[in-house]
Amino acid sequence: MATDALRSQVAAKWQDAFTRLNHGEPGISGLITFSQAWNLATDFLRPKNIAAANKQAYNMNSVRAALEMVNRCRRLPVLLETFLEDMRKSYYLVANDVTLYMQEYEAAQDPAVISRLVFRLLEWYTAWSPPPELGATIFSAYTLNFQTHLFSILPPTFSQAFKALCASTLPPSDPDAVPNPATQSREIWAAFDTLGLLDRYESIVASVGYEHIEAHVLATCTGEWSRPMLDELRTWMSDKMVSWMLLPYARGATNAEEARVLLQGVGSRFDFHMNKTLCDLRTREIFDIIIDFPDSMGALQDLRDCLQRVDQRAALVQSLRKANRKRLLHPGAETKLILSQYVATIKCLRIIDPPGVLLFKVADPIRRYLRERPDTIRSIVTNLVGDDDSGDSLVDENEPIQPLQQPDIEDYSDPNWEPEPIDAGPDFRANKPSDIISTLVSIYDSKDLFVKELQVLLAQRLLAITDDDTEKIERERRNIEILKIRFGEAALQVCEVMLKDMTDSKRIDGHVQSQKASIVHPTIISRHFWPSLESSDIVMPGQFQKLQEQYSQEFTIFKPDKRLRWLPHLGTVHLELQLEDRTVEADVPPLEAAFIELFSSKTVWTVDELIAGVGSVDRSAALNALITWVDLGVLKEDTEGTFRLLEVAEEPSAGPSHHVRTAPAAIELPPVTSVQQQQAEQMKVYWKFIEGMLTNLGTLPLDRIQSMLKYAPGYDRTIEQLAAFMEAARREGLVTGRDGMWRLNT
Amino acid sequence: MEQLTTSLAPPRAPQKSNVAGSSQQVAGSVAKRLGNELMTLMMSSSPGISAFPKNDGNLFEWIGTIEGPADTVYAGLAFRISISFPSNYPYVAPTIKFETPCYHPNVDLTGGAICLDILQDKWSAVYSVQTILLSLQSLLGEPNNASPLNPDAAGLWNTPDAFKTQLMKHYRPLKDVTAP
Repeated sequence: MATDALRSQVAAKWQDAFTRLNHGEPGISGLITFSQAWNLATDFLRPKNIAAANKQAYNMNSVRAALEMVNRCRRLPVLLETFLEDMRKSYYLVANDVTLYMQEYEAAQDPAVISRLVFRLLEWYTAWSPPPELGATIFSAYTLNFQTHLFSILPPTFSQAFKALCASTLPPSDPDAVPNPATQSREIWAAFDTLGLLDRYESIVASVGYEHIEAHVLATCTGEWSRPMLDELRTWMSDKMVSWMLLPYARGATNAEEARVLLQGVGSRFDFHMNKTLCDLRTREIFDIIIDFPDSMGALQDLRDCLQRVDQRAALVQSLRKANRKRLLHPGAETKLILSQYVATIKCLRIIDPPGVLLFKVADPIRRYLRERPDTIRSIVTNLVGDDDSGDSLVDENEPIQPLQQPDIEDYSDPNWEPEPIDAGPDFRANKPSDIISTLVSIYDSKDLFVKELQVLLAQRLLAITDDDTEKIERERRNIEILKIRFGEAALQVCEVMLKDMTDSKRIDGHVQSQKASIVHPTIISRHFWPSLESSDIVMPGQFQKLQEQYSQEFTIFKPDKRLRWLPHLGTVHLELQLEDRTVEADVPPLEAAFIELFSSKTVWTVDELIAGVGSVDRSAALNALITWVDLGVLKEDTEGTFRLLEVAEEPSAGPSHHVRTAPAAIELPPVTSVQQQQAEQMKVYWKFIEGMLTNLGTLPLDRIQSMLKYAPGYDRTIEQLAAFMEAARREGLVTGRDGMWRLNT
Repeated sequence: MEQLTTSLAPPRAPQKSNVAGSSQQVAGSVAKRLGNELMTLMMSSSPGISAFPKNDGNLFEWIGTIEGPADTVYAGLAFRISISFPSNYPYVAPTIKFETPCYHPNVDLTGGAICLDILQDKWSAVYSVQTILLSLQSLLGEPNNASPLNPDAAGLWNTPDAFKTQLMKHYRPLKDVTAP
């Protein structure tokens, strides 16, 4: 079967192997020596149970000689294979240990157990490791195999447990707590490294770091807005975190310089994470931070610095807009509150982002909302005028008063010109930083609305002044002077006239009084310059009318070209009623005075008679006036709608007593037609234009009216809206519409 | 030396373009002023006077309506006028004509031209459409018979009945302006 050639080749091979193993020793003695050496070497290397009590002692010299022998015979690779195979077979020992420790950990949840497990694994690893004489190749093959087996037997719960262990090595946030002995953590990190856990679980180590930073930031900075925290956090990082980071991340470093280089990457990642955590925290808190402004200055500075590192601007805008929508821009919030929060937002976001892009994005919904609120203008104007009762002014008193700024066109020839920030939207308008009032006024397209409201407010305040209180008038004058700087001289001319009317009234009154003394002291106002005052048809009866007429006569003598038109419902009357048994003094509104005057001619009146007696007056107002007297004990309601004068007081304390009681005089501000109904007002303006064009151009089709209405400032209605409006006007009989042509009724 | 300064003077050409640019600006500011005047007039609600641009493309041509003041021969009558603003308004007065024939000492019966000092030499930039309309309204009741444009009317002024007859003979009630 076998050829000779094959036979001889096998013989040659066998001879060759024999010579190599026998070393040319006589007989087969060399072969026997090798076999002994092989046995010794494999036995020495075979992984043993370290828990076993009887440790076999080897003569290291003979072992070394045996290994030498195997090496010389070039049987080392085979030896390695045998060794690794033996290790695989023995690995159940390690696996048993791991299971044991993991069970214990799961029961106790104590990272110390894992720490013991790691050290135990390290024991196994060192016990089984081949002697260094065999060279680095065998050692690294061993390490790789050991780790591979180890990772295959570690249960999934281990990563969680490992994380807990890593966390336990962290420096505690509480400075008083006893820190872990540094040596122990150093050892454990070395063990991690040796076992290859560090490379495998790198992300876990990093997440431990991140979570620690996060927890620390949240613990120290939440709600802590008064001072900037970033520096403190950085100090904490360099004091605590860096010393921890040295262990996992700068193991190989021999000196500080090397350590620094090794830590650079991870350090900046951690620093970024710290910034991001703080930034996220402040973003969540931003609404309350703004409420707290200016006490939250520190937090704002932090946020500004963080935003430069972390690109969270969009998130900040989102968060703030959401918070505003939820907490501010709803019907439950007072306009004043919204305004002051808006002003605070302006100030805060200017700190965070001086170019104002964030502000623009956040402010837009607030401004749109404010525009819809009917009392926004009034609130702003009230604040401008600086009402005494409201302590907190929107305007910082230290802020210099300056004229309103118009949004100006960018000056590209300015050498310091800078392009708009990268996240500015297409409709972004950079407005000048400082002036809050300009920003508020710019909520509306024109300042005319403000000026109008200002007139109304001024009228109310001036008419509320009684007893020629010069000081109050002077205060109003001062206010107007300040506002002139803002709104411009021309806009406030009307207010000027109103103020002048006040002083003129006093002068005229002085003159009239000097001609013929009267107890009437009217405030004479120029109808054209005052906002329309609610008119009333009260005719003052009896002596009041006589007084008015006398005064009018004197006035006409003094100013022949002018005529006084009384507004008897405004003002107050000081009365002294002399009844049979007592005298009652009271400061009352004119309607009350008129009624009681009527009672001087007859003691019993019905409400309807009384109303007829003073001309025409609202029934509820009349009843209110009567109740004032009932409260003062002067009148009594006998049956419903019938009042009787009590010449003798009914109370038990009756008798000649002298009552001095002051009725709650008209405390509420005099009625002035408010500008609140802007919508209606606007439509009134448009109606004037429609009236104007129909008067002059005659019959017009609807589309022509629509296109001509572009002459009306701010006209933005659709033709459908106009059609509905014209239809409403037709129902009121103002216009006639036929075949789509509209004609004014004359 | 003189040459030096002249060479330093800015070249002529750009100046010219400046002028062109400013004239455009002027047109814009005139339109703005007219817009404001319209707004004021609409909101003023002065009785018996009114005016409005003729069409939506041109703010410089207006049509106005004046009602005769009460207690004058013109009471109850309404007159239509045309107002044409120059491009350099308000530095030059607008041209105003009666479109409805108006028998009046200071109004040309056929052409509608008006002899009113503030529309000629006494014009000032502070006047506005509203003041013009008010002046015309009061002119109806108080003519200046010293410089009549219609001597017949001036002669008849002191005999109101005869005047009224002449007036009504020429007067035509308002019709709609035909749309352009």
